[in-house]
Amino acid sequence: MSVIELIGVSKEYESGSETVVALSDVDFSAERGKMVTIVGPSGSGKSTLLNMIGLLDTPTAGVVRLDGRDVTDFSEDELTEERRTGIGFVFQDYHLLPMFTAVENVELPSRWDTSVDRHDRAIDLLERVGLGDRLDHRPDQLSGGQRQRVAIARSLINEPEIVLADEPTGNLDRETGRTILEELTRLKDDENIAIVSVTHDEQLVEYADRTVRLVDGKIDGS
Amino acid sequence: MNGISSLLWRFPSAQMAWRNLGRNRVRTALAALGILIGVVAIASLGITGAALQQQATADLGSLTNEVTVSSGADSDEEGVSREQLEEIRGLVTDAEVVPQRTDATTVSSRGRNARVSVTAVTGADSLYDVSSGEAPPQLQNGALLTNSTARELGLELGDPIEYDGDVYRIRGLIESEQGFGGGGDELVVPLSAIDQDHYDSVTIVAADGDAAVAITETLNERFNREGRDENEELSVTNFADAQESIGSFLDTLQLALLGIGSISLIVASVAILNVMLMSTIERRGEIGVLRAVGIRRGEILRMILTEAAFLGVVGGLVGVAVSLAIGFVAFQLITGDPMGVLTWASLQYLVYGFGFAVGASVLSGIYPAWKAANDRPVEALRG
Repeated sequence: MSVIELIGVSKEYESGSETVVALSDVDFSAERGKMVTIVGPSGSGKSTLLNMIGLLDTPTAGVVRLDGRDVTDFSEDELTEERRTGIGFVFQDYHLLPMFTAVENVELPSRWDTSVDRHDRAIDLLERVGLGDRLDHRPDQLSGGQRQRVAIARSLINEPEIVLADEPTGNLDRETGRTILEELTRLKDDENIAIVSVTHDEQLVEYADRTVRLVDGKIDGS
Repeated sequence: MNGISSLLWRFPSAQMAWRNLGRNRVRTALAALGILIGVVAIASLGITGAALQQQATADLGSLTNEVTVSSGADSDEEGVSREQLEEIRGLVTDAEVVPQRTDATTVSSRGRNARVSVTAVTGADSLYDVSSGEAPPQLQNGALLTNSTARELGLELGDPIEYDGDVYRIRGLIESEQGFGGGGDELVVPLSAIDQDHYDSVTIVAADGDAAVAITETLNERFNREGRDENEELSVTNFADAQESIGSFLDTLQLALLGIGSISLIVASVAILNVMLMSTIERRGEIGVLRAVGIRRGEILRMILTEAAFLGVVGGLVGVAVSLAIGFVAFQLITGDPMGVLTWASLQYLVYGFGFAVGASVLSGIYPAWKAANDRPVEALRG
């Protein structure tokens, strides 16, 4: 079954006097254990689509289903809760908190939930991405690749069903990008999660189980 | 710093707030400095006011049990008549009533002159404290003289002194009275020494301040029933009244000082508003990430309010310490007793100052916190 499902989703923005159509009648789904990559030229609506999948934005038309539940009309607070428990995020510029150590950054999304202690899981995840000896390093003491691994560990802390990666290799050199992608693929299989990534990077497409091309807010040829 | 941070581990919003303040220490320190100055302004001005009040009370304390009666504004008499004196004696049974006549003269001895005020009384013992010799209830042909005048003229106990053609022997030496009325150099002679029918004033010595106030009311009731402005037969003055009006003046002064102090705290809270706004705008992307990974709006709100509160607490605590030091100095200078600051009357201003500091900081944090918490994560992430 699809973890996330978008059915006939459109998104329109009011920009001045004209209406900009960012997404038009898009169908999309992602399954556990698979990596889907969304590619397309800039302005094609990739980011908007990723925001819909990540429940960061709501569509103007269509239905969004998470784990089979219709979350289209959820309130902001309900969506926040769904994001916390079900979705992990990896960003192009890592977005780690500079005042916190690697392990603290990884733990962060779980901190406000007092019913669980994910400290051990945080350490375990960092060890699994090869940063077992960097637990107490701050982001400024880590290289770009190491920072992105911390971000990947953070995205997995709450045992999500789906991880969204927005240009995860965008700020990394080719070789580092490759290791990051291998890391992601391995974790995807280990944790049995869906990964949806957005990229310009052709390298990333090699690792994808499926590629979705987006042109002018429409899925191209699928 | 790290100790506090790990202590806060169980309160993630507070811990994040603390860490965020540590991020730009100069900015944090400057914002806290503004608050510090505000607290010092409020608390030290308040404490100084308290010191002034305490000193004024101490200065007036010895005089508050006396009631002075003199001719009223609407009286036809020149002073207090014999009939009025008798009436006063009838009304006031539990206090000493001492009628006085006053004059001024120049006394000379051994070729030296001194200008003195002359007070003619019976019952000098209840009005004057002698430093040497004695003050008998009936002076007869004796006199009392202030120490300083005696020294100036080279007079000693038992020496003769001439006033209005009569010679008196100095029976006692007195200290010049402090505070209101009297004061200066004084010659005290028997009541009969000044030859006039009325009395210039009547001093009533009551057991304490409260009794003096009661006597003042009784006398006003009898002599000034229509209200002082319209029909004042006798002017009845009690220093407890004076103390009260000085007290209320000092209260007003204190309020004005606190007002000035509050202005600096308002300026400081505007600075905090600015700092918090800047720092939330700078951290917009970061806050967007927190929202994206599922941290609720209320938690972001709490985090930023806590940051503002920390600024207030840190600035407030240092401000309280500085104010306390200033308080010791103020009390030393004004009352001569630095430990006087350790009373609730002055320490309360430290509590107010601290309370205002934290309150103003949190208030200043509300808008930035609200703004950051309600920023849509999509917009925030875009930068």
